[in-house]
Amino acid sequence: MPGTSRGPRLLSAIAVAWLAVAALATPAAAHEGEESVPALTQVQVAVAILRTQPELVDLAADRINDATEAEDKDGVDIDRVEQAKIALEAGDMAKTELLLEQALGACPGQPVTNPAGVRARLPQTPCPTPAHELALGRVPLHGAAKPTLLAIGAVLTLGGLVLTRRIR
Amino acid sequence: MSDTTLDRPIAEPPPVSRRQRLVDALDERLGLKSLQYPIPAHANTLAYSLGGLSLIAFVLMVATGIFLTQYYNPDPAAAHESVRHIITGVTLGGFVRGFHYWGSMAMIVLVGLHLLRVFASASFKRPREGNWVIGVALAALTAGLFFTGSVLKWDQESLEALEHNIEIGKLLGKFGFWFSDTFGGIPLLTRLYVVHIAVLPALFTLAVAVHLLLVKRHGMAPSPFGDRAKDSGPEPTRPFTRHLAELGVLGLVLVGVLTLLAVLLPPVHGPTPIEGIEVTKPPWPLLWVYPVEDWIGVVGILWATLAIFAALLVVPLVDRSPELHPRRRLPVVIGAGVVVALIIGLIIYAAVRPVASHISM
Repeated sequence: MPGTSRGPRLLSAIAVAWLAVAALATPAAAHEGEESVPALTQVQVAVAILRTQPELVDLAADRINDATEAEDKDGVDIDRVEQAKIALEAGDMAKTELLLEQALGACPGQPVTNPAGVRARLPQTPCPTPAHELALGRVPLHGAAKPTLLAIGAVLTLGGLVLTRRIR
Repeated sequence: MSDTTLDRPIAEPPPVSRRQRLVDALDERLGLKSLQYPIPAHANTLAYSLGGLSLIAFVLMVATGIFLTQYYNPDPAAAHESVRHIITGVTLGGFVRGFHYWGSMAMIVLVGLHLLRVFASASFKRPREGNWVIGVALAALTAGLFFTGSVLKWDQESLEALEHNIEIGKLLGKFGFWFSDTFGGIPLLTRLYVVHIAVLPALFTLAVAVHLLLVKRHGMAPSPFGDRAKDSGPEPTRPFTRHLAELGVLGLVLVGVLTLLAVLLPPVHGPTPIEGIEVTKPPWPLLWVYPVEDWIGVVGILWATLAIFAALLVVPLVDRSPELHPRRRLPVVIGAGVVVALIIGLIIYAAVRPVASHISM
C-alpha cells in the first residue's frame, strides 16, 4: 500500500537531513588557540573537571598541559602544575586536585574565581571540606524507609492500574 | 376533588442514608452536583486526561515544594549545604527531593504530550484558539519552573545554567536588567528562588484557572479519532465527576511511579559550584539547545527558544481549515513532526557529544 511506505520514507528523509545538518555544522571549538588562554583559566577548568567529571581525566590532562604551555602564566605556580601533571599520570586524582588548587593559591576546595555577585565568597579560614568531597552523587535511602516506600509505590501503581481498568 | 383522593395515605419518603445526607448537605453549600454535567465519552481516555494529569503533577510539586522550602536556604553561600542537609539530615528529605525531581520531569513530559495531543486532534481550532495560547503560556511557565528549579540545587550544573541565564540577560540589553547579578542588591539565586516558589506558581495557577474555565465554556473538543469520528449519531456522554474519578485513579498511578523512581533512582547532587567554567551539560529537557549553542553561541538558546514558542503561538493562524484528522492536515502535521524529530535528534546528539565551553572565560 502506498500509504504505509510513506511514513518510513519520510522518517528516513528527516534522519538524513538532520545528520547532514549535524555533520556540516562546525562546533564552536573550545580549544582553539590554547596558548592564548591564561594558565589560570586552564588550571581552573582542570580542577573543575576533576571535581565534577573525573571520568574525563584525559580532558583534565589536556588542560594541565595547556596550562604549562600558556603564554600568560600570571597567578599560577607552574612548578605545582608540573607536580600535578606527574600525580595525574600516577593516577592520584586527590593529590592532583590538591596540587592544582595550591598552584592557584586557593584554599583547597574553595571557589577559585568569584565573578561579581553570582555567589558570595565563603569564609576562607578555616578551610572547609574540599568541594569534590561535598558532591553527594546519588544517596540511596536506608533503613525501613526504603522497603516501606517501595511497597507504597508498588501498591499505588498496581492498585491505580487495576482501578483504572475497573472504572472504565 | 374526590373523597378517594383525600383518603389516600400520604406516601412515606424513602429513607435517606447518612452518606446521602452528607452529600446533600455539602451540595447545598458547595454546589458539588453541578460538577455532574455531561462530557463526551472520549474525554475519559488517557490521551484526553494528560492535561488533568499535568495539573495533578503541578499540585504534587507544590506539596513537595512546600516541604523543601522549610529546609532550603536560597543564600548562594549556604544553598549547596542546605540541599546536602535536606538529603542527608532531614527525615525523608532525600525522598521528597527525589519525588520533586522526578515529578518535575513527569510534568514536563505530561505537558509536552498534552500539547502534542491537542495539536494532533486539532483541539486548538475555532473557537478554542485563545485557550491554545493560554496552553502555550502554561508550557512556557512549566519550562520556567523546571529551569529555575534546576538552578536552586546549586551544584556545578546549576551555576553553569545560571551563568548562561546571565549571558542571555546581557543579550537582551535593557530588557535583561532583571537577570543582572547586580539588580536589586539581592543575589540572583535568591531572586530566582522567589520566582520558582511564588511568581511562577501563582501565574501557573491563574493561567490554569482561565484554561479550565475556557474548557468548560467551549466544552470538550471533539475527537477526530476512533469509531465515533465516523459515526453520524451523537456521542454518548458521561458525567464530569466520572472523569474526575478516573483522573484521581491515574493520579494514584503517577504518585506510585514517582515514589518508585524517587526511591530507586534518587537524583544526583553535584559538587559546590565553581564560576567561570563549563564542565557539565544541562538536564535532558533543556539539552536540545546545547548543540544550537555549539553552532551559533549563547544567542542560539534565546533564538531557538523564542522560535519554538513563536511557532506554537501561530499554529491556530497557520492551520485554519475545519479539518480535524491529522491525515487531512498533512502539511502542518509533517512540519510539526519534523520539529519534534529535530528536538529529539538534538537531545540525542547533545547527549553523546563531549562537553564544550560556550561562555567566554
